[in-house]
Amino acid sequence: MHPPGTAEQPTGTASGPPTRPRWWPSFSSTIRSTALTARLGRALAIAISISLVTGLLSLYQYEPWTWLPAPASPAWGYRVTQGVHVAVGTATIPLVLVKLWSVYPNVFRWPPFPSVKRVLERLSLAILVGSMLLQLITGFLNVLNWYPFPWDFVSVHHYLAYVVVGSVLLHIGVKLPDIRYGLQTKLPEGDVLTERPWNENPESHSIAGDLPAPVTPGISRRGVLTAAGVGIGIVVVTTIGQALTPLERIGLLAARQPSKGPQGVPVNRTAEEAQVSAATIAADWTLQIDGPRPYRLTLAEIEQQAVHEARIPVAAVEGWSIDASWRGLRLLDVVERAGGNANSHVRVVSFGVGGFRRSQIFGPQLSGALLATHLNGERLSLDHGYPLRLMAPNRPELLNTKWVSQIEVL
Amino acid sequence: MGRWRLVLGILGVLVVLYGVVNLGLHIPIQTLAWVAVWLVAAVIIHQGLVSPIVIGVSSLLRRLIPDRGRRYLQAALIMAVPVTVIAIPMIYRQGSQPPSKALLLQNFTANLGLLLGVIAALCLVGYAMRVARDRSPARGGPPST
Repeated sequence: MHPPGTAEQPTGTASGPPTRPRWWPSFSSTIRSTALTARLGRALAIAISISLVTGLLSLYQYEPWTWLPAPASPAWGYRVTQGVHVAVGTATIPLVLVKLWSVYPNVFRWPPFPSVKRVLERLSLAILVGSMLLQLITGFLNVLNWYPFPWDFVSVHHYLAYVVVGSVLLHIGVKLPDIRYGLQTKLPEGDVLTERPWNENPESHSIAGDLPAPVTPGISRRGVLTAAGVGIGIVVVTTIGQALTPLERIGLLAARQPSKGPQGVPVNRTAEEAQVSAATIAADWTLQIDGPRPYRLTLAEIEQQAVHEARIPVAAVEGWSIDASWRGLRLLDVVERAGGNANSHVRVVSFGVGGFRRSQIFGPQLSGALLATHLNGERLSLDHGYPLRLMAPNRPELLNTKWVSQIEVL
Repeated sequence: MGRWRLVLGILGVLVVLYGVVNLGLHIPIQTLAWVAVWLVAAVIIHQGLVSPIVIGVSSLLRRLIPDRGRRYLQAALIMAVPVTVIAIPMIYRQGSQPPSKALLLQNFTANLGLLLGVIAALCLVGYAMRVARDRSPARGGPPST
């Protein structure tokens, strides 16, 4: 039975709901129920929580605090957290659509604006729905490297997340009695959700007492949950291959196919986008190392010293990742020769143009980092950062600076 | 429960305000206006266009298709929606990226067709099994739906 005192206060009486125009939409399907919505909402709350935690972890990876450097171990950490972030975000798109379908009749409550409280609730719902849809759509477009919107994706995605999460918390607070009713009621037995609130509906349990479970002549409520679950499951299984290598072959909806990248690794930012060409790299190219004891390394010296090997997965903010083997110089060796040490903060500068031209590395990632010359047994291609790129464990791909020209020990 | 509702409500409002204030501090106002336009458009397109179409289709199915077959068709459509929603932007963007990104290289139209075909086949098999079971003498004849 619906409890008394839910967010929806009666606007009429059990015997006579407020008069409404004859043309006002009405919903007769018995499939919708608070019992169904509450279950969908629970799944959504779990998905949003996972997205929030993994999203904040990604933010921290991009801007680690000085007093808490990003860890280098496990090397696949970012691969997992960001892979989960994108997979859950992608799965949330259809989940939200099903959730919104389940409560659509609520849009047509009559009268639409009976009180200031109801107007505020509707406004908060509009913010919740709009921010959630925007967050999910733009997140997915970012995975596709598609930016039809005129704003910086990262900043808006970050701060809009608080609007989404806050709206969800407010929504849970408002709907708590309904959520409790929905989750405590057996799925087939829950009151039918129509445009008429339960406390105005003569056919609700609260008013009519014990009632037989409503008949659902078409698909059952359990059927809706199962079918939606299978559909969303298909999406996850056919997209996750961009992060989970064994499933790449069945990745029919995977945006990336990591193994098809040059040298077995996709490129996030191409040499052309960074305005780097073979002609840019002069024959007498040298690596400038600045610090207490500055010095230079020629290409020949670098290649001679590039004997250290490591398996470090490449993991991108767009959720794709793949394991790879690297060969190069240990960055810490280069830093120590310039007078730095494992506690130094080091800036790695690229001669590429545009975003992520420079990145800072310190703490455990500095100790585990390579200045890589080889990828999967071959000399780095231009797109992968020839002549030299940074590669550190558990570090987002874009921060592993390519086309390195300068190392600064800060 | 009342206290929990209040705590969640206040916390929610504070978190929303934190997001809004930071959007205001970090995003230029003109850009922010575009974010608002997109946000409102998302609500209008979903509530005013997508949902009515879905409601219209389901109401049409209810009128035209008998209950027994409709269950399987509804299941197929519910499964098809997530797959289609994800595939459509990819179909639109396929082949738009440099090959070295290994991004959007697939023929997503064909892949979507394959997945929808599998979903349709599964639901058809389920329906056929249901029809056969209903006709089985052990069940005492077909039910009305």
